[in-house]
Amino acid sequence: MEAAAVPTVAVPAWRANLATIGAMMTRARNELVRVPGAAIPGVLAPTIFFLGLNGVFGALTQLSGFSTGSYEAFIVPVSMLQGAGFTGAAAGVNLARDYESGWVDRLLVSPAPRWVILAGTVLAASARAMIPAVFVFTIALLLGAGFPGVDGMVICFAMVAAMAAVAACWGSFLALRFKSQSAAPLMQSGMMALVLLTPAYAPIALLQGWLRTVAEVNPVTHVIEAARQGFVASVTWADTWPGLLALAGLLLVLGGLALREMRRTAQ
Amino acid sequence: MPAIEVEGLERAFGDVLAVQGVDLTVDKGEIYGFLGPNGAGKTTTVRMLTTLLLPTGGRATVAGHDVVREARAVRASIGVALQEAALDPLMTGRELIRLQATLQGLPPAEGRQRADALLERVELDHAADRRVGGYSGGMKRRLDLAAALVHEPSVLFLDEPTTGLDPVSRKTIWEEVRALNDAGTTVFLTTQYLEEADQLADNVAIIDSGRIVAEGTPDSLKAEFGNPHIQLQIAEGSLADAERACAEVGRLLPPKDGRLIEVEVENGAADIPRVVRALDDAGIAVESLELVRPTLDDVFVAKTGYHIEDESEAADEEAVEA
Amino acid sequence: MSALVLNARVVAALGMRSIRQTFRRPQLIAPIIVFPTLLLAIQTGGAGGAVELPGFPPVQSFLQFMLAGAMMQALMLAGNSGGIALAVDIEMGFTDRLFTAPIPRFAIVLGRLAGTAALGLFASCWFLAIGLIFGAEIEGGVLGALLAMALVTTAALAVGGIGAAIALRTGSASVVQGLFPLVLVVLFLSTAFFPQELMIEPAKTIAEYNPLSFVVEGVREPIIAGINAGDTLAAVATIAGIFALGLLLSDRALRHRLRAG
Repeated sequence: MEAAAVPTVAVPAWRANLATIGAMMTRARNELVRVPGAAIPGVLAPTIFFLGLNGVFGALTQLSGFSTGSYEAFIVPVSMLQGAGFTGAAAGVNLARDYESGWVDRLLVSPAPRWVILAGTVLAASARAMIPAVFVFTIALLLGAGFPGVDGMVICFAMVAAMAAVAACWGSFLALRFKSQSAAPLMQSGMMALVLLTPAYAPIALLQGWLRTVAEVNPVTHVIEAARQGFVASVTWADTWPGLLALAGLLLVLGGLALREMRRTAQ
Repeated sequence: MPAIEVEGLERAFGDVLAVQGVDLTVDKGEIYGFLGPNGAGKTTTVRMLTTLLLPTGGRATVAGHDVVREARAVRASIGVALQEAALDPLMTGRELIRLQATLQGLPPAEGRQRADALLERVELDHAADRRVGGYSGGMKRRLDLAAALVHEPSVLFLDEPTTGLDPVSRKTIWEEVRALNDAGTTVFLTTQYLEEADQLADNVAIIDSGRIVAEGTPDSLKAEFGNPHIQLQIAEGSLADAERACAEVGRLLPPKDGRLIEVEVENGAADIPRVVRALDDAGIAVESLELVRPTLDDVFVAKTGYHIEDESEAADEEAVEA
Repeated sequence: MSALVLNARVVAALGMRSIRQTFRRPQLIAPIIVFPTLLLAIQTGGAGGAVELPGFPPVQSFLQFMLAGAMMQALMLAGNSGGIALAVDIEMGFTDRLFTAPIPRFAIVLGRLAGTAALGLFASCWFLAIGLIFGAEIEGGVLGALLAMALVTTAALAVGGIGAAIALRTGSASVVQGLFPLVLVVLFLSTAFFPQELMIEPAKTIAEYNPLSFVVEGVREPIIAGINAGDTLAAVATIAGIFALGLLLSDRALRHRLRAG
């Protein structure tokens, strides 16, 4: 074959890495755009939980200890974070599917650094998590949850994006560890447990025994409190920084595990 | 410097040694054939050379870089089309090659130009904007090959590139490989098809159970290990008697087919009358008889005692049972 | 040998296959048991203060109240899972093998339902054991526990019929799997997780008329209060109705599949 006489201009590494991340995010978007109904499960699950929990447990606000009379306002950040967890875990399932089909080999055999490949998967999940988050947020406002203020909304959505990244790191870690889609239930239930073993249903003071103990040590409790603050009270730095720190810690640990597994695929 | 240099390469999976002490050298500009049945260790070797798998022993360099210590440099120098064409069914052909260009670090404009040129080259320009999910098997392989070439690698790894393809698609791939090689690309090709190795490769290594059992040019291998053999089918008489009669003239080969007898002879066509006389004396009538030149399968049989196809079938059955 | 005996043997054989399939793959059972157990733990710990609400039925604990809901969740997931398994059989071509055998067509469905019922029985035992371990009392005693188990098992059979009908109609495992959110919706719109009087509209009104609520109350009553004829009869009638619906839909779907090929 005569190679196309095209000159090669060296591309700085940072630009090449950004381009790779962008290309992977574009590919992830294909599933949403090109598979009819692909976005529906990711939106349906948190919406059903939001509406269902509100319909079932809404009377809990009558208990003293609740700082709001609106269970919608109380629970909407939980449902948004649940959606983020579901979306991130789904990214892990997709990675496992790509591994089984051999697609991951195509990525691993390229000169793209391993962290770039992981970043592409994780950032795609963060972006995708905005879809169910916006949906649930809108429904909540329509049902009477008060607007949390611009600052409250920004913080809530930032928590959602970061939580999706955490979930994608968890899902990617399991996908590369087990190299199989059969790890999907573990990806989903792990995230579900992380989000719900918190003051998800009621303030921490009203939680029963063992759940209160777990919620007090679960870092996602701080994420929920940070995401919830605008909906039930006002936004303060004191309620925000623990959530940011918790997310940073989770990203460090789970991202580190995922990266390690990606580097170990050759072993 | 050789394009690929391998010394004592080993890969263990638990107690199983899938590749045991492989040594080989591939010169620049060569087509190197790696021939063996399923489960012989071909894909494991390719995965080590393409940095997808770490060796558990030995060393290897590809395009001058160590596959373990300089893995990224290796990846930047090689093109790979693996056994399972790893394609995304939701992407179009054009999108896939452009993605590959991005993965290889090419500037966007250059990546687009090369993608278009390659699609035309492998005759997929008419289908470039259709989703890969709708491509035929042959089209997918051509696309995979094109994607492996987008960054003009100096070494191209093809892992069983024509397995499962019809004869026409296979010939198309062969032509592409020859053309690439003519332009200077070193090709490392694994295959279980004798004809493919025979037709394409400058040098062939035959691997079985993780070891190289023979290496050389196809002609030299056949000449060194293969003798002509007579292949005959009897019309009447006992198969056992016929085999006994043939064994008096030459060396009986393992039967490939129930009614076919194959006997290796030293003197080629000159031994045909002796075979016919022996059968006649035994009261055996012959339906057909031909002198068959040695093939790489004969070389394989000489080294291992088995036909390469039998080994592949047995390996497939074991895989199914597992 | 009478046709009845022969047919019973066929159903038993297919039933055993279904049961073996169900319990040989822990990764399939786990979500049916683990997910509801996780939710039970979380909801009991998170919403347990609800027993203080005025109007909440007198119970020993929120866990005691919630056991029935957890069992309902598990049996609904079991019905969905049975439908998925049948759809996989259709996709794999295994049902074609059965269709060409000299067996009554409906034995195929009945055999599949046996696996679902077994899973329902397992789930009821599991959650009763969980309840007892964590301090919940079964007010109806041994009889009450047995009644709850019987209702859950037969409800699983009935729901399994609906799942089987969907599988036969669509022939697609992913479609049946995609109905999982519907399972959650139906459960939330029932009294599985909270007393109907304390739910928020419109869930409150829907739960009042949701057939699943009758089944839930039938399972719950022996646990929190003792055996009550009215609740039991209502549950049995509802289960019978769902079972009949499932049989009708399955029969129609089966005929359609055999006609369409």
